[in-house]
Amino acid sequence: MLRAFRFIVELFTQRHGVVAFVFFLMLGFLMRQAPNFVRENIVSTALGSVFYPAQMVISSINSFRSVVSENEQLKEENARLRQETYYASEALQELARLHTLVRFDDKWDFPIVTSRVVGHNPGRFLTTLVINRGTNHGVKENMPVFSMKGLVGKVTKASYTHSRVQLLVDPNLKLSVIEKKSRIVGFLESVDGRMLTAMIPTHAGVKEGDTLVTSGLGGIFPKGIPVGTVKAVRKADLDVMRSMDVVPFQEFAALEEVFVMEKEPEWIIQELLDE
Amino acid sequence: MNSFKWIKVLLLFVFCFILQTTVSEWLQIFGAGPDFVIILIVSVAIKHGPAAGCLWGFLAGFTQDVYAPVEWLGVHSISMTVLGFAVGQLEEKFLTLNLPTKVAVLAIGFFACDLIYFVLTGLEKDVVMNLFLSKTVPECLYTVVVGAVVFHLSSGRQKKNV
Repeated sequence: MLRAFRFIVELFTQRHGVVAFVFFLMLGFLMRQAPNFVRENIVSTALGSVFYPAQMVISSINSFRSVVSENEQLKEENARLRQETYYASEALQELARLHTLVRFDDKWDFPIVTSRVVGHNPGRFLTTLVINRGTNHGVKENMPVFSMKGLVGKVTKASYTHSRVQLLVDPNLKLSVIEKKSRIVGFLESVDGRMLTAMIPTHAGVKEGDTLVTSGLGGIFPKGIPVGTVKAVRKADLDVMRSMDVVPFQEFAALEEVFVMEKEPEWIIQELLDE
Repeated sequence: MNSFKWIKVLLLFVFCFILQTTVSEWLQIFGAGPDFVIILIVSVAIKHGPAAGCLWGFLAGFTQDVYAPVEWLGVHSISMTVLGFAVGQLEEKFLTLNLPTKVAVLAIGFFACDLIYFVLTGLEKDVVMNLFLSKTVPECLYTVVVGAVVFHLSSGRQKKNV
């Protein structure tokens, strides 16, 4: 065993490390070129086998279980109350606009799973979180994730004990949003993995300080979850659109607990996602 | 590297990641924090050479890749491997680097690492420019200051041991 280890070390250190360099570089490029499902497997295997247990231990160092569980119950209750408040304010606005009562089918009556953030990118570009709730707690892929303050992202991979959450700042997550006052729909994305940018039609007259909430379109996120406030409005490439910087309601790096809404995507969206 | 040194670097590696996910956030000034992982890779590469630099660079990069968008898997691994190998060419076995030189190597390595990262992610030019000015430059400066302290302390300890 030791001999084999020494052989590998000697092989890699040959020619002043060129062998090791070429090997690791090739490994990196292979991962880069691999199909998406292979990458997904690599990440899930690495997370499940090494990183999740390690980060679980690290994140548990300072937590006292009894306090945490009591805290979780309280926070769950608080989150539910906040949800109801958000829903109530949304419903009031709807009522003011509509003369006749219509049937609402986007009520937030989904169960909530409280979860602790146990891991996030140790690098400088934060786009993913790992939470300590998985399929055995009812968490499934594409379920919305939010905090006390607003939307956080969605579950992209659910394992038995933990799940990976794609944050709003992930450049691969596009979200349909609605401006709270004008009710005009736009979309939100991050082009650099850091800042959020929204595109909303010019006639909406969105200005600095306005609030964006989820539109409910797309079938993954329910309508009315706060997303962020508009920080700056700029002209987009097309005159009919305005591009704006959006500041999310929470700092993703500072999140300790999040809530998973046990809402599965609408059947049509689910079919598209499965495809 | 003997077994004891492997374990020592492994412990340092774990310690750096703990620092990066905890302390680095508390130390942030205007959204910029130090990158302890790059300091570690540069230190290991200078001390133990390019092969060790590659290995620990790759492991550090892969750890960051796991938490990055799946579509970008491999980007951190490649950039950190290149950093480890390039800095490893200045191995202390053959050269003696003073503190300012080590700090300069850290700064250049930091910029090079981010540059490779930006190229491989395929981000648009103006987005890269914006990230470079708002993220890379301030964090590089911060990392260089922290790195200078780390290098100074470690060289002080080495002298003591001698």
